[in-house]
Amino acid sequence: MNTLAEQLAAYLTRTGGRPTEVEGLSRISGGASRETYRYDAVTGGERRGFILRRDPPGSLIETDRRLEFLAIRSFAGKGVAAPEAIVLEEEGAELERPFFIMGRVDGGMTGGVFGPDPYGEHARTIGEQFFSRLGRIAGEPIAGLPILEAAEAPAPEDCWRRELDYWAGVIEADEEHPQPIVRAAIRRLRREPPPAASKIAVVHGDYRSGNFLHDGAGKVVAVLDWEMAHLGDPLEDLGWAMNPLWSRPDDARISGMIPKEDVLAVWRDASGLEVDRKALAWWSLFASVKGQAIWTSAAKAWREGGMVEPILAFSGWYTARRHDEILAETLVAMENGR
Amino acid sequence: MTPALPDILRGITLTLVTPLPPEASGDYMVGRTGLLAMLTGLAAQEAERGLAARVWENQALRRLFAKTSGAYDEALAGQLAGAAGERADDLAWAALDEANARLRRVLIALHEVVEGRGDAALDREILELYQAMARARRLDLPPGFGG
Repeated sequence: MNTLAEQLAAYLTRTGGRPTEVEGLSRISGGASRETYRYDAVTGGERRGFILRRDPPGSLIETDRRLEFLAIRSFAGKGVAAPEAIVLEEEGAELERPFFIMGRVDGGMTGGVFGPDPYGEHARTIGEQFFSRLGRIAGEPIAGLPILEAAEAPAPEDCWRRELDYWAGVIEADEEHPQPIVRAAIRRLRREPPPAASKIAVVHGDYRSGNFLHDGAGKVVAVLDWEMAHLGDPLEDLGWAMNPLWSRPDDARISGMIPKEDVLAVWRDASGLEVDRKALAWWSLFASVKGQAIWTSAAKAWREGGMVEPILAFSGWYTARRHDEILAETLVAMENGR
Repeated sequence: MTPALPDILRGITLTLVTPLPPEASGDYMVGRTGLLAMLTGLAAQEAERGLAARVWENQALRRLFAKTSGAYDEALAGQLAGAAGERADDLAWAALDEANARLRRVLIALHEVVEGRGDAALDREILELYQAMARARRLDLPPGFGG
């Protein structure tokens, strides 16, 4: 059987019409729903770096790679630092499983998601860029975007219900032990729905610390992991990016970057949208429900996959426990605020 | 359910003995090894506190059910009384988790009824119990892993 590098070289040679070698193919961490590899393609003495994202045999989240590919393509050249989306092969071709190829951004690093001070002296600069880019995604008119080929736009008043139904359904399907805390949160969200979305936007779906690259000198160079992208209420991304899960141990700064009010000011300026505080509170609680759904699926996928993927064990264990804490604290705080 | 300690330890062992293809031997292997180290550190915490947390939670739920069993409709009262009176002498991880699953199902049913009736005092008590349950099972990242 050919190695993955040989399979990839065969694919690139066939589709490019010129002999192409693949060098330095190496798997990297890059989300739990796709296998991610870096490699150099060498054609006629010319070398260029790429990223390969291939469907795994089983994954943490069932996501549509076409949607991910089109979401990335939707923001090419729009100041968001989306990578270059190059080619999508939904049938898998020589690689046997569906995949797509992106341009590689070299020299970037991720911040430690749970580290005490992930961005050091560049925290403010990075925070402003990070939330400004999120604002640009939120403010981008969706008309004509490639993502419309694969994503359906909900009515503004239905955004919350569609997302909540989906993630509550994931918990229902994948839960292997009763979870009273997240179920109480789901009931609360249904009892007190948010106002209709102020606009329909592209929602990145996993916009958070750890899912972007910076250059170590204060510049955000790539926004990654678009695998849960969809159309919906732009406050969904803001609630997810601001979730307390990403901010420990420095709760005063969102994701170790900048304080909450600064986040909202940057996002407002970049998006041109107002932040409805009641709606944001709803989407913030929802973010913890969605997180718990993802971790619930992770625990199930870890068991069903033979317990050999440690990121799934970590997600299904540590992060699930942490989100139970966050959910319970939020529910008590909401009750105290009545 | 979040994985129980015996499963986490089995998973670490299985991961260590599972070979990886050559293209996964660089950064991915380093990251994976770091995750295994972190899981081992978390497993040490769970070994110290996990059993006590399960015993405490099951007792707390039985106390709540004993207190509320007379206050609600007949079907739920029967569930509450039954759960409150369960024997609790098997301290194996699996037995405690099985009992916990039964108790949590009753807790979910109780909380739905409490919300439906607008019983603010008991609603608050249950929310605070959730907070205590989550704190009892809390895991802290080991030093060097962000904690």
